[in-house]
This record gives sequence, structure tokens and C-alpha cells, in this order.
Amino acid sequence: MSILQNFKDFVRSRSIHISYVDVGSCNGCDIEVLACLAPRYDIEQYGIYVHNNPREADVLLVVGAFTPGWEEKLKGLWDKIPEPKAAVAIGNCPISGCVFDRRGSYVDPPVAKHIPIAAEVPGCPPRPTEILQAILSIRDSVFAEWEVKRK
Amino acid sequence: MGGEAEMKRTVDVNIPLGPVHPCFKEPARLKCETRGERVIGAEVELGYMKKGIERIMKGRPWQEVMFLAERVCGICSVIHNLVFIEAIEKISGISVPQRAAFLRVIANELDRMQSHLLANFSYCYTIEHETLAMYLLDVRELVMDELERLTGARVTCAYIIPGGVRCDIRAEDQATLRISLDRIESDLHRYARMFETGPMIALRSKGIGILTQESARRSHAVGPTARGSGIDVDMRTQHPTYQQLGFVPVVRKDCDNHARIMVRFDELFASIRIIRQCLDTLPKGIIRGGGICKAGEIRYSGEAPRGELTYTIKTDEFGRITDIQIQTPSIMNIEACCHEMIVGVDSIADVTSTFVSADPCIACTER
Repeated sequence: MSILQNFKDFVRSRSIHISYVDVGSCNGCDIEVLACLAPRYDIEQYGIYVHNNPREADVLLVVGAFTPGWEEKLKGLWDKIPEPKAAVAIGNCPISGCVFDRRGSYVDPPVAKHIPIAAEVPGCPPRPTEILQAILSIRDSVFAEWEVKRK
Repeated sequence: MGGEAEMKRTVDVNIPLGPVHPCFKEPARLKCETRGERVIGAEVELGYMKKGIERIMKGRPWQEVMFLAERVCGICSVIHNLVFIEAIEKISGISVPQRAAFLRVIANELDRMQSHLLANFSYCYTIEHETLAMYLLDVRELVMDELERLTGARVTCAYIIPGGVRCDIRAEDQATLRISLDRIESDLHRYARMFETGPMIALRSKGIGILTQESARRSHAVGPTARGSGIDVDMRTQHPTYQQLGFVPVVRKDCDNHARIMVRFDELFASIRIIRQCLDTLPKGIIRGGGICKAGEIRYSGEAPRGELTYTIKTDEFGRITDIQIQTPSIMNIEACCHEMIVGVDSIADVTSTFVSADPCIACTER
């Protein structure tokens, strides 16, 4: 591995930009993602910045059980994110639909049908520490040696 | 109506905001019509969160609908739980032990505090006052701790059940709650003063997003949005336990963004007073009575952190929900926001802050 690659890996591991998208949840997971910003959990000490702008994001946090309104939009949003990128499913909804996946509802889980999901955090809602841990755990496997792996 | 002249409006640019926007917690699209920098009209486009939760609820027993009801909105889950369960109790004639009624009020007020703190955090974050926003989010974690200590979960806690509450508060937890409340109150006094007297905050919020009392009545604004415009509406005044505690609603008359945020700060202090009052007068006894859920129909309202929340429920003799309609407060506030508050703001930068000051909750609007 070249020195340049080492340098890139080091920089990337301390600079992860996050965008989150709510594709039909109850808001419970959204506010736990927001709670990660609080000084108690302090997401920025790990070099993670919540921008909520897909064009400069590295990690997309997906919250909610996929609703019809997002049918074309989520794929478009995913394509806007520059490589290397990863999506993390937060909560039970994007994994299984949680309580909403019943007869008569409009949701269409899991989200993995629509975009590739790198990590899943179950819980209704998961704690902020668990969300933080999931983002940190995919950091090395997705972003380290990306140029080498791509070849 | 309107005629040709009104149909053809001169619009410079049509600026869409959202659905994924740095300032919005949830997906909603705001389409702003602008002439120069001035916004002359706005339209909200919803439909990104429609899950059909009322359709799932129909035909299910209350034991299941109870958990669905608190997942209508994750931010104000306790009030959805409370209103649904109290509606079931009203239908079935179940009475609640006095201690449980007081514990319900404590859980409800803690939930209101965290919701208001989140709303004020969002506003401060939107006007780029990140320091104050982070202070408020830190205080919110203290409130969440107390909610977790009382109910056992941070967000969806299912604390309130027909005939009482799920678990009791221990004496040492009461002492901890009092200590936490003292700390939260002293911190909040500082932050509320920072917000009220801050000159830069005043520039971004005073006189912006005007919702006059008359237009608030016309657009049926509810909750802190209406109380910031001098309308004295609060469903808590009609709740028996709050009446017992002598609750008086908080009203401000400035009608702008600043007033709406200050109403939420004032309500935070009111909530702290209510919780202290409940702890002082907490009666001894059981926390859970008995009862059988019966057939019936009712329309029941409660005061959510964002305004009046109404459940219309029809049950059959087995305790199943045959019909349910939920009316959430945010839809009226979004209406007031788009048609009254945003119209005429000076720049597009004020649109997001005005929208956030009404504290719209898209999840419970669309359900």
C-alpha cells in the first residue's frame, strides 16, 4: 500500500459526512439521530459531521419503513452521493417494517430492496450510542483502501 | 373566485425547499413563490410519510392499537398514548386511582418538556445560533434521563395503560427527579434569558413570521403557535387532573417567531412547576385499578406539545377498535404557517426559521 493511500485512509477515518433521510418513520428514530448531536454523545468528536446534504455525504442514514412517496426519490438520492458511500438502516422499520408492516398499510419494507444497506441497527428506537457504534463500525470496512478495493 | 387578475400572479422564481433539507428534520417540500427577495406565497407538499396507520388500527384489539397509537408520533408519544387510553377509559367507565392520575401528568409533562426543548433546539439551529441549540439539546438529555427512569424507555414507553400506569415511582427516584428539575430549571433560566435578550437572535426572530390573532383564528392555529398570538387555548384546562392542579395556560401577544419560542420556554417552566406540584401532593395507594373494555363511541381531546389532539374511537364489546380517526395538531399549524406566517417574509432565509418556529411534525400529520 502506498504512502498516499495510508494518508487518504487516515484522513477519511476522521471525516465522515452524514446525511439522513426519513422514508416514513414515526420520528422516534429521527430524534435519536438528533440526540447524537448532543454534547453528551458528541458525534463530532469522532470526526462525524451531520450535514444532511446528500451531495457531500459519505454515509446515508435511512430511517423509516419505505413509503410509496419515496419510490423514485430514494434511488435518485442514493445516486447523488459520491463514492465511496454506505447506507445504514436505523431502527426496526427499514429492516422489517416494525409495527407498520401489516395488512392495509402503504409501506414496502425492507429498504434493502431499493438501495444497498451496509449496516442495520435494530431497535424501536435504538439508543444514540448504538447508532454511533454502527456508523463507527462501518467506517474502516467501507472507506479504508477504497481505491485499492475498487481496482 | 379570484378571477383572471388573481390567477396570473407575477412570480420571479419558484424556490422549492426539501424534501431533504439541512434544516428540516422530516421530509416536506415547501414551494415558495418569490418576487425579488420577498416571499409572496408558499405551498406545502406532503405525502412522503403516509403509512396508513389508521387503516392498520381498524379491527385490532386495544392491546395492539395502544402500541400503534404511540407510534403515530415518536416525539410526542406519551400524549398519543394518554389520549387513546383515556378515550378507552371514558367509553368503558373505568376510573383511575389518584396516584396513577398524578403519575400520568408527570410522564406527560416530561414528554412535553423534551418536545419543546427539541423544537427550540431546531429553531436555534435554523437561525444558526448553534451554541444555544447545543445547550438546549444537552438539557433535553437530562429530561430524557428522567423520562427513562420513570417509564423505562426513552421514546416509545407505553407507560399509560387502561386503569392506571405500568410502574410506580420509587422514593429515591422522586428525590433524583427533584434534583434534576432544580438543575434543569436553573440552566433553562439562563438559556431563556440568553434567547430573550440576545440582540442577534432578536434580529433574526422579532417581527418575522407575523401571525396576527385574527389570522391565527382564521387558520385554526393551535398549541404554542396560537398561544404566541395571544389566543388562550389549551386543552389541559379541561383535563380533571390539571384542573385539580390549578393549571393556567401561557399566552404571549407578540405574534412573531420570538413569541412562539418564548411561549415554549415559558411552558417549560410551567411544566417544571406542575411536576413539582404533583410530587408534593402525590397520594399514596395503588397505581392500577381494574376494568373491562366495553363497546361505545367517543370523541376525546388532549393537549399535545403542538396543540389539540383528538381521537374519535368506536369499539365493539370485545374491546376491538372498529373505527378510529386521529386529528393531529400539526396540520393546522402547517396551514397557518404556509398561508399566513411565511407570506411576506423579507428573505428566503427566514422561510425555514418561520416554518420551524411552528414546530411542524410531519410524521403525525400524515400518519
